Amino acid sequence: MKLRILVADDHEIVRRGLCALLQKREGWEVCGEASNGREALEMAKQLKPDVVILDIGMPFLNGLDTTRQLLQHDPQFKIIVLTVTDADQVIREALDAGARGFVLKSDAARDLVSAVEALQGKRMFFTPRVNDLVLRGFLDRGHTVSPNERPDLPTLTAREREVTQLLAEGKSSKEVASLLNLSTKTVETHRSNIMRKLSLHSIRDLVVYAIKNNIIQIQMPPQRSTTETSVA
Amino acid sequence: MAVRILLVDDHPVVRAGLRTLLGGRSEWEVVGEASDGLEAVEKVSRLQPDVVVLDITMPRMNGIEACRIIQQKAPGREVLFVTQHDSPQMMREALAAGARGYVVKSNLARDLVEAVEAVSQHREFTVLTRNPRTRA
Repeated sequence: MKLRILVADDHEIVRRGLCALLQKREGWEVCGEASNGREALEMAKQLKPDVVILDIGMPFLNGLDTTRQLLQHDPQFKIIVLTVTDADQVIREALDAGARGFVLKSDAARDLVSAVEALQGKRMFFTPRVNDLVLRGFLDRGHTVSPNERPDLPTLTAREREVTQLLAEGKSSKEVASLLNLSTKTVETHRSNIMRKLSLHSIRDLVVYAIKNNIIQIQMPPQRSTTETSVA
Repeated sequence: MAVRILLVDDHPVVRAGLRTLLGGRSEWEVVGEASDGLEAVEKVSRLQPDVVVLDITMPRMNGIEACRIIQQKAPGREVLFVTQHDSPQMMREALAAGARGYVVKSNLARDLVEAVEAVSQHREFTVLTRNPRTRA
């Protein structure tokens, strides 16, 4: 029987690349492609793939919250998160969320097939940096983690995080309500609870919070070259 | 005669995706790949492609600078920018650097083939999305 894989990334070009990599393997098929977290959630519930590959920085619902919600729905889901950064906080959140694989996008051509194989064999797959961090965490076990080291995410419910992301993406309460099938009044209640819990005073504060906590990613302008321009 | 294409992007996955999208045309040949601007400049001199498909944000040397150098050192190459920067300002900068085309990554499946066809015939091809917004 074929190994069925669901691929979720908001860039079609990346999905094409991922599919090209995965479909080279005999016996593997990409059973679905999603372009945001909410779509991935629906498709995964419906298609029940053997492995789910989720980009972290997706609109509507980011990959980490998609991971949390999927595993809450069914803890048997095997999830690999794809990320552009292996910053400590992102690694911690991915592990906390329950991802079993962690692959850097820049290394996906090399690592993704190995990661899927690992999950297929009921093992986990992490980049060397994640392994280091996990080992460090293991060695440090028993020490209390200071609140500053941990993202202040757990204070929000899954629904509140979802609302936070949509508001930070610039959607109005009415738009959020329509996307989540809620009343505008309920969304406004969520919104004021979020602001109160996080001690925020404006949407601008909320956007900063969402960026700092990897709920949304911002697009960076290109950096100037570090090399000498004498090449010209 | 075959159109010779060089693919430049720092993510191998994106290059694999570009290859897949371009694979349908028998008259197009991907002659090489590069993962940053410096490597692109070097490969353009060596491989003499007709079309350079170029990302903007890359390590070592970004695409805009690479494009300027390519235009100076190897005139006659057509540069098509393929980028996540959905901004008129960035597009103007790219065209000022000598590019013939500019498409955003989110619309690539729709635009790439048409864009490569246009620039390979020395026609300008630029498309931004209608509602640019911060990517989440």
